[in-house]
Amino acid sequence: MNVEIVDLTRRFGRTEAVAGVSLQAGPGVFGLLGPNGAGKTSLLRMLATVIQPSSGTLRLLGRDPGSYGPRREIRRRLGYLPQNLGYYPGFTVAEFVEYFALLKDMPPGRVPAAVAAAVERTGLGDKARAKLRTLSGGMLRRAGIAQAIVNEPELLLLDEPTAGLDPEQRVSFRAMLRNLGETATVIVSTHLVEDVGAACTKVALMNQGKILFYGTPTELTARADGTDAAGDAPLERGYSAVLAAARTGAGAWS
Amino acid sequence: MSDIGTGATPPPDVDLDRVWIGVAAQVWRRQPGPAERTAGRLLRSPGLARALLTTPSLLLPWLIASVAVLAVGAVATRGTGEPLVALLAPGVAGAGIAYAYGPGIDPAWELSRSMAVSDRMVLLVRAFAVFAVNAVLGLAASFASGTAAALTFGWLIPMTAVCALALAAATVVRSPNAGVAAGLAGWTITLLSGQAATGQYTVVLSASALVPVYLAVAAVCAAVVAYATRLPKGTT
Repeated sequence: MNVEIVDLTRRFGRTEAVAGVSLQAGPGVFGLLGPNGAGKTSLLRMLATVIQPSSGTLRLLGRDPGSYGPRREIRRRLGYLPQNLGYYPGFTVAEFVEYFALLKDMPPGRVPAAVAAAVERTGLGDKARAKLRTLSGGMLRRAGIAQAIVNEPELLLLDEPTAGLDPEQRVSFRAMLRNLGETATVIVSTHLVEDVGAACTKVALMNQGKILFYGTPTELTARADGTDAAGDAPLERGYSAVLAAARTGAGAWS
Repeated sequence: MSDIGTGATPPPDVDLDRVWIGVAAQVWRRQPGPAERTAGRLLRSPGLARALLTTPSLLLPWLIASVAVLAVGAVATRGTGEPLVALLAPGVAGAGIAYAYGPGIDPAWELSRSMAVSDRMVLLVRAFAVFAVNAVLGLAASFASGTAAALTFGWLIPMTAVCALALAAATVVRSPNAGVAAGLAGWTITLLSGQAATGQYTVVLSASALVPVYLAVAAVCAAVVAYATRLPKGTT
């Protein structure tokens, strides 16, 4: 298992952003769904080793991120796209991706080819030498994705990766996710249930720091059966049905 | 891409995507400058060297501003006889240290914290480099201003304390502005205290009795920085 979480919590002052989450994940594409403030980003940041858990057990790629050596090893094999991607406006796309390839401790000799491959894979080849300040929001997002995949990560964490992408780019991005998920564990936090339906093999639905549902997109869709849950698509209705059931206290996943 | 210019069909065993990636890698390859190559050799880490070269307070506009402030100080020192360079240098260096690394000042700070090259190392390397550069600039300005030898070097130890205070505040509060404010406030209070006690600002630079105090402040602040950037526990 690439991700093993047992009873993980994260508190910010009195607020419990993640409240006792347990989860295991091997290779595949995992969707993390939930309303705003559900705890998705906090969970992803803990998996990215950016913040530490308040309690619980976390093992990533078979290692304990609490120790320096294993954490460094995890980070070498990790790809992370934060919700708010910060960037250096004066860098070109290729320089930006190269910067993070170097910070990921990739062997310098491998970096140029890895950068070129990541930039091409995200469809930014014709913008490789363009300054980041000249790019649109969607292109910046793709530059962020390029830096996340430059080291061919075994664990890829993407927070709202399709924000700003146009429909055509989202379709090709989902194909890329499916491809990456064949060998790596890809965890995608998103508001867009259609992304989950198209790309994810498993989905977890979070609310108020807890996981309410964990299963396949088909199983999530089935949760809407026999209910009058709102939604324009079957998966959306399943999403609404699980949240509605949680509000009435009728079904938390364990 | 396969037949541009020739109209030829490639042999079946040629992976054109791979060929193109190889070409693109060479075309887009960035050549590190001499400073980055030297830093990479010294630090034994190309990633750390690259992170050092992106330090906001080591970029050209910041360095030009620092040189301008110290140059004005040197000219004013020559004109008035007051050791303004010695009074300015710790403040300039403290601001530079606070703006070396952190949220709000480093655009990719969140992302950098998930990288194999530890952000603690980035912080330390950047802080050391900013300190060294400011010490050199301050010394040059000090010599140019023609102040007494005691004052030429007298501000180095107070500068260490001011820089450590600015770094500690910036690290604990996670705000470079808080670091600048703490460093400047600490230095201003020190200067005003010297003025109030003896009637002259320069006593805080020349009094040997204050050296252990400055060193103690620097040591405490360094401990605070070490604690604030300690390795997080991943599990319980």
